[in-house]
Amino acid sequence: MPSHDVLIIGAGLAGQRAALAAADAGATVAIMSKVHPVRSHSNAAAGGINAALNPEDTWESHAFDTVKGSDYLGDQDAIEIMCREAPEEILHLEHLGVTFHRDDTGHLGTRAFGGASAARTYYVADITGQALLHVLYEQLMKYHETVDRYEEWFTTSLLQDEDGNCNGAVARNIRDGRTEAFRAKAVIQASGGAGQAFKPTTNALICTGDGIAQAYRIGAPLMDMEMVQYHPTTLVENGFLITEGARGEGAQLFNKDGDRFMESYAPNKLELASRDVVSRAEQTEINEGRGYEDGGLALDITLVDRKRVLEALREIVNIGRDFAGVDITREPIHIRPGQHYIMGGIKTDVTGQTDIPGLYAAGECACVSVHGGNRLGANSLLDTLIFGRRAGEHAAGRALAMSMPDGDLDARLADENAWLESIMARDAQGGRRVSAIKDELGETMNRYCAVFRDADGLRQCHEVVRRLKEEGERAYVDDRGTVFNQDLLGAIELGYMLDCAEAMVVGAIERKESRGAQYRTDFPQRNDDEWLKHINVSRNGDDVPEVSYTPVTMTQWEPEERTY
Amino acid sequence: MKVAYWPGCVSRGFTPELHGAMAKVAPLLDIELLELDRAACCGAGVIAEHNQELADTLNARTFALAQQTDGELMMNICSTCQGSMSECQERLDASSDYRRHINGNLGDEGLRYARGVVNKNLAWLLVEEIGLDELRSRVKRPLENLKVGPFYGCYIVRPTERLGIDSANPRDTYLHRIIEALGGTVIDYAGAYKCCGFPIITMNKEASLKQAGRHLSDAVDADADCLVTPCPLCHLNLDLQQPLAERVVGREIGMPVLHLPQLLGLALGLDPGELGLARHVVKPTSVIDWSNAVVGAAAG
Amino acid sequence: MPAYTLKIRRYLPESGDAPHWQDFEVELDGHRSVLEGILKVKGEQDGSVGIRCSCRAAICGSCAVRINGKPMLACNTHLEHAAERSADDGAIVVEPMGNMPVIKDLIVDMDAVHWKKIERVTPWLLPEGDPPEREYVVPHENMVDITQSMACIQCGACVSDCLSMEVDPLFIGPAALAKAYRFVGDPRDGQHYERLKDLAEDPHGIYDCTHCFNCIDACPKGVAPMSQIMRLRRIAGSDHGIDDRNNGHRHVMAFVENIERNGLLHEADLLPDSYGGKFHPRAVPELVDSLPVVVRGLMRRKVTPRKALLHPHRKDYKGLRRLFEKVEGREERVELNLYISGHEDDPAEAEKEAQP
Repeated sequence: MPSHDVLIIGAGLAGQRAALAAADAGATVAIMSKVHPVRSHSNAAAGGINAALNPEDTWESHAFDTVKGSDYLGDQDAIEIMCREAPEEILHLEHLGVTFHRDDTGHLGTRAFGGASAARTYYVADITGQALLHVLYEQLMKYHETVDRYEEWFTTSLLQDEDGNCNGAVARNIRDGRTEAFRAKAVIQASGGAGQAFKPTTNALICTGDGIAQAYRIGAPLMDMEMVQYHPTTLVENGFLITEGARGEGAQLFNKDGDRFMESYAPNKLELASRDVVSRAEQTEINEGRGYEDGGLALDITLVDRKRVLEALREIVNIGRDFAGVDITREPIHIRPGQHYIMGGIKTDVTGQTDIPGLYAAGECACVSVHGGNRLGANSLLDTLIFGRRAGEHAAGRALAMSMPDGDLDARLADENAWLESIMARDAQGGRRVSAIKDELGETMNRYCAVFRDADGLRQCHEVVRRLKEEGERAYVDDRGTVFNQDLLGAIELGYMLDCAEAMVVGAIERKESRGAQYRTDFPQRNDDEWLKHINVSRNGDDVPEVSYTPVTMTQWEPEERTY
Repeated sequence: MKVAYWPGCVSRGFTPELHGAMAKVAPLLDIELLELDRAACCGAGVIAEHNQELADTLNARTFALAQQTDGELMMNICSTCQGSMSECQERLDASSDYRRHINGNLGDEGLRYARGVVNKNLAWLLVEEIGLDELRSRVKRPLENLKVGPFYGCYIVRPTERLGIDSANPRDTYLHRIIEALGGTVIDYAGAYKCCGFPIITMNKEASLKQAGRHLSDAVDADADCLVTPCPLCHLNLDLQQPLAERVVGREIGMPVLHLPQLLGLALGLDPGELGLARHVVKPTSVIDWSNAVVGAAAG
Repeated sequence: MPAYTLKIRRYLPESGDAPHWQDFEVELDGHRSVLEGILKVKGEQDGSVGIRCSCRAAICGSCAVRINGKPMLACNTHLEHAAERSADDGAIVVEPMGNMPVIKDLIVDMDAVHWKKIERVTPWLLPEGDPPEREYVVPHENMVDITQSMACIQCGACVSDCLSMEVDPLFIGPAALAKAYRFVGDPRDGQHYERLKDLAEDPHGIYDCTHCFNCIDACPKGVAPMSQIMRLRRIAGSDHGIDDRNNGHRHVMAFVENIERNGLLHEADLLPDSYGGKFHPRAVPELVDSLPVVVRGLMRRKVTPRKALLHPHRKDYKGLRRLFEKVEGREERVELNLYISGHEDDPAEAEKEAQP
């Protein structure tokens, strides 16, 4: 039975950063991922990472932009920490070898990004996430003697003792099907978001909310789950992401009448207003009949210098060509808002600790909260690295000050195996196929829990989710084998997505106001008097989850009217 | 048609039968060869490996010389030339600044490359300029019962984009079509598009000859009578080195390898003796015997 | 909606069955991807079909497979294009990548081959001394240049069809060597010479590449691994003077000097010069080994003794020497990197040029 000081679940940016930090602090570390680490969805983050490194810039300015971007739901102490520590983190990454873009003097160069008052986004062409992820993995390969990697191991449950401490996890080796109980003094959840609960989504197939659900199931509260970001520029065809970097380079949005409509919604920042503002503007244009026949609007990148496009937006050239049959240097491409990110997640403090002792969370699966009601572009990469590092350091500190939890885990492991067996033994007659339930969930969420919401729609949505949860318990699988049984994992992931979906809907119903990404047509105004607080959702057995509140931490900035 | 003709180096060096066969076949296809005798080696990818500007200059010079003739286009008889020249041409055509710089190197000789030279290998010329129907109509001695395996090798089929290979120009199937137009039977076998190994003959002799040996063996197993190749460098590794290749893969092979003009010459009615087949290390006995037997029948 | 047949290579190790083909039919629009087709099969017909996949957008590198015999990502291959290129009556043939052991169906063991070779090239930055206070100052062009290597998503398509690796499984391979260039081209790495020396001297290193272009064609991200290998050779030989034991650098220089002297390749000189010269101790055993070939060549009159020993020099070729000296004499090599500059597309420019 493997045992480590710190067990990290998820090997995206947050997980890998936590691993390196914990190892540097002297802890024994295990990092586990259901896919090879470089397949993690961090690699899809395209545009860049924010930091107030420029001597003319200040972290306070970055922090204020983030607070405003969050529509004042973000916890200002956490935001201050993130923005203050950002410059050092960028330099640390550069020293590790990240191939950041340079200006003509050979120093780090920036590009403009949404919601920012100064150019502070550092980048690598339009593959920033990939470049960061691969360089961190280079370091993990270098650390092979101090960090044990468990690649293609699927975590099925977190372990918890009678006192409520999290002390490890059960995982299945995908290659040969054996399950193992992993003992740890501290566990860091870094397993990403839950976009697959929506259809379409920019998220990868692996983004099924595993960690969020696993934490939820052992009693950790989830916070701000109703805050779901719709990205303004996703391909009409299939929901794939066209990076905000395109707009940062000068691309513009037009409706079918050829109007640059952002002039009326955000006269100052135009296309670079915060994402929720742009998405709502686009959805309004579409709903009011000014969209194209295919349901989209035009993003015109021909306005950007061709050489610059090849240098800095190469990925979009590829995406346009491969998935939409469009040469973006010669014609506009059709886009519309699509599900992209969840600001909500497992509630943590600024050291990554959740309400469950021994359990930490970082990255998209966590909610500190630095993004509040809406995340700024290029802040997500920053979030994963700052809080991944902090969680790793704190978890190492905790681990080094305690002894390894003992206790017999055999019975627990046997229970887990029995559960997995029971899934495979389900009767084909009694249930629907996993993919059918997943499709229905995704379409329902995209219809009722998207850019514009109301009480009626949300209620219907909740009913469907409850029904699908029940059907999910009986969903059957074809594959009963041990080697690479993806079918079984799909059934388990379905359960995770349904838990996350319910939390999102419950939060959206509870918040009777519009703030950030949540826009209620029946409560269209922001209501600071009653709703300047976080909504927590906690498990209540198999019943509808319980709701509670946490105040927003404010340090310097009082809520103001939010215009761009 | 008149073509500016670049014979390459090896066709006049260690595979002289190729140069000779081409000279004999050209008039039968109404091709007038304007040989570029001042042009130098294309670099074979090796000079480009060492210094791209040097390779680009040498080839720009050859293109410029071709552009000075009144040939309709330029033709080569070597896959490696086609591939190396296409690589250099891509760079030359991609940037007017770069082209100007290279033309600066040619100034002393009064030469100048103008963007967009059309350079086609004999195999491409046959299909695209002459046409398979026309070719078929000129066949005097259909290659009946001759099972021919096409050996494309590398330089004339990859990278697909640079070589202009797409559904409109399926150049990676031309040898198949030519063999069929000449009346032969195409033999598909695993090694048809793989590497003969020539580029690493001095660096890893065993790996080089293992490649040649395996692909030849694949053709034997597929029951081919002979291979045909558009590249004399491939010919060196497949024919001249065949005995050594046999040793490396541990089996007898005995697979004759023909140059494309030789196969053409046989089908267009030339005498096997005129085509230099006797110069091959692996004697194409099946080909020669069969052709002799049929010559009488066709003439009669 | 059109129907497509996916002919998938199945292999379930626990079943005891040998690998076999299984046909599935799916109805989808032709511009959807082969991966979407396979996911539809998994979702609606047979959940046991194994394929790695995640992002569906050609970024994560999970879904590399062989489609109709060529390696590519399943997610950015359109069904209609794949059906067009079918050699099997319109059926889209999908099988696992090559050069790597198969775990199940379309899933191969990348650790055993691909990742092992990546780790072989010490794939992390080795800076010299302590890092600066702020960032390292490096030229803009260098960072753009190595972004081509950084664009590699580790999908394995290049490794799958590497022909050198097919005959020499120990060859370090295109993915790992492209990764090596990421460091050799990075001014912040302090071990350029050591890396190059290691990879040039290794008999399965940079000079083991058979120059077949398969990896350039296979790569979905324009990394052009073979071009990176050629750059490593160029930098190792010309910039660091590494005279490897594999005759790699010597062969290149022998070729270049041969053309400089003769204009056309004089093959008889090339072979011995690649080993160091006709009477060099290294060359002698090679020439002895090649004696049967030489004899056969002479017997077939492929080459006459006179032609072998002398080479008919053309008067015109004397001018070439000046050209070589001019270009090779430059302080810095002039190189046009198409990845950075792109292709000009100006017919007007060409028009202007065509005028006398």
